Amino acid sequence: MANKRKVKDFLMRLVTYLGAAFSLFFLTVTLIYIVSNGAGLINLGLFTGDYHARYYGGRTESESSCIECSEPETYKGFYSPKYGIALYDDYDRAGNVVIRVSYVDAHSPFSLMQDTNNPSQTASLSIDDVVTRIAYYDQPSALTRNGAEMMILSLESSEDIREITFATLGGGIRGSLITTLYLIGLSLMFAIPTGILTAIYFAEFAPVNRLTNLMRSFIETLTGVPSIIYGLLGITVFIPITVRLNLSEGPNLFAGAMTMAVILLPVVIRTTEESLKSIPKSYRHASLALGANYTQTVRKVVLPNALPGIMTATFLAIGRIIGESAALIFVLGTAVKDRVRVTESSTTLSVHIWSVMTDEPANIELASSIALIILVIVLILNIGVKYMSYVINKKFRGVV
Amino acid sequence: MLDTWKKTKTIKEKPRMLRIEDKVLYHVLLSIAFISASFVIWIAIFISIRGMMPFLTDNGGLGRVALWQFLTDTVWLRGQTFVSTAYGAGFLVLNTLYVVFLSLLISFPVGVFTALFIAKIAPRKLAYIMRTAVEMMASIPSIVYGLVGAGVIVPMIYSSARVFGTHSSGGNSTLAVVIVLAFMSIPTMTAVSEVSIRSVDKNLEQASLALGASNIQTQFKVVLIAAKSGIFAGAILAVGRALGEATAVSLVAGNSRSGPNFGLFDITSTITSTMLQGLKETSGIDYDIRFSLGVLLMIVIVVTNIVLNVVKRKVGKLNGE
Repeated sequence: MANKRKVKDFLMRLVTYLGAAFSLFFLTVTLIYIVSNGAGLINLGLFTGDYHARYYGGRTESESSCIECSEPETYKGFYSPKYGIALYDDYDRAGNVVIRVSYVDAHSPFSLMQDTNNPSQTASLSIDDVVTRIAYYDQPSALTRNGAEMMILSLESSEDIREITFATLGGGIRGSLITTLYLIGLSLMFAIPTGILTAIYFAEFAPVNRLTNLMRSFIETLTGVPSIIYGLLGITVFIPITVRLNLSEGPNLFAGAMTMAVILLPVVIRTTEESLKSIPKSYRHASLALGANYTQTVRKVVLPNALPGIMTATFLAIGRIIGESAALIFVLGTAVKDRVRVTESSTTLSVHIWSVMTDEPANIELASSIALIILVIVLILNIGVKYMSYVINKKFRGVV
Repeated sequence: MLDTWKKTKTIKEKPRMLRIEDKVLYHVLLSIAFISASFVIWIAIFISIRGMMPFLTDNGGLGRVALWQFLTDTVWLRGQTFVSTAYGAGFLVLNTLYVVFLSLLISFPVGVFTALFIAKIAPRKLAYIMRTAVEMMASIPSIVYGLVGAGVIVPMIYSSARVFGTHSSGGNSTLAVVIVLAFMSIPTMTAVSEVSIRSVDKNLEQASLALGASNIQTQFKVVLIAAKSGIFAGAILAVGRALGEATAVSLVAGNSRSGPNFGLFDITSTITSTMLQGLKETSGIDYDIRFSLGVLLMIVIVVTNIVLNVVKRKVGKLNGE
């Protein structure tokens, strides 16, 4: 009898362990997957680079080889003394094999060429560019699939270059990063003041009656509205407002920020209100007893003491902005931009993920890199939130 | 400050200037709070109006969308895009409810057991680690879950479909959606359940222990039962989230154009994933119909919530709460 009960107890205990292990397992899989796929692309170039590659075709001015060119001390891959460039094999950010430039001598004929796509312009090959093809008059073209070494060998053996086709690397996230920063700034500009003032109303002034309860429940309802619905709100209300104000002609960052602000409102209001409530009553009474009126009390006693709470709200809001995708797909668009303007459409990091994942073929590595960046930011924000709650607890401990 | 605010309204000796300042502040705050509270009404009104348009206008000469067909049909669009208006979203509603229900079958037990583990069973350090893990899961944006779904779960389903003697279209399937939604709901389920498990009266536990029940028996048969209304609230919250999830679902669903799709390895589509389809055009009936889907989504969410709340009350009553 006692044995049977022990077995049963053990089984029940096991079930809870399994449940927890299952949760932990999935988190681990997620993190390992994102880090293993995404870490490879993380470098400075990813943050500063353009997403869209620019393609050039170059024709050298003279057929003469480079006499002044000198071999650099260090370079990657293979060097051509005749033309003063070094090339190496690499992968681009979509995982394709490419040949990249690791060195171009200042005197190299490739450093100043005529642009074949646009004859009045000049084109110049620079470090980190991707060389896709070198065509010759006197021998077959050297292509990416033959590798960097073959390309250098063919360069050395040729006297007469017809055209070199090259492109910038592309796949960078600078545009999305800037959009995200803009969006954070603009959304907080709308959401934080509105949220704080609403929270002050509810925590300090709202009478206890049905209207207050109704308003509270309306704001609470916003939490349950799916973000895709906010996207529709942005299209029907905020984009027309910005168009009417002649700010824009379609999806734009202002409308995105206003939409985000509405999404953020319940979070900001709830967090701020909780922090207002954690401020001891005695603080307010002391201020009022000293002859300050309510406005002064709010401004000089309540708000400064609510600062950690407001910081918490801001951190949570930033996390939400960075993670939001569905609403922004509608209000900001899905086309990744390199030149970001607040009056035009662009993508945040999250939408960038969605954009590259719905492309054919999906670029999982780039998506994972962006996801990794998002996760790191979110982790830092989480630590910030924890620290703030520690500050609040410490501050008001033991005060009535 | 409410208590003092109310009292001072009757005190006449207060300097006039200050009272006006306070009144101004009060009314400014009230109006801002009013604006904040009004957004939900704006959402309801504006989206309903745009959502009704395809049924009421002739959509630029294409003819009205038939409401009954929209609500019941099993094919998303009969005929050509921008030519036909024979939209049907009935199967989308079924698909949506189906995947959310299946995902709850995973997330409910896992979430509840994880919560019980954290709150009552785990040693303190392990509980701390688990709680941090769950908080982290909760803060991961849904698009990242979608990415992991597309990168890990979808290939796994693709290769395992053969084992089960079926094939799946590249792995995009009902099962993938279910798993992604389940993992997204687990942190919500866990967090809400943990709070309600913790708030169970200690006396109940002690009474059970005093009657000779073992600790683990008490946790399962007394604490969980006492916390069930809170746990149910967590489930309602999780269902609400799952119903409205869009981007993660759209990455793994496969987007079927007709249904209902009940096969686990078949491609599927939900209301939200269909709303994210073909966003290249930003005008015309194929774009406007998204608003109708949005209205449909809101109705589904509200109705589901009401039904679940009724069930919750019934379940609560059964055990004499």
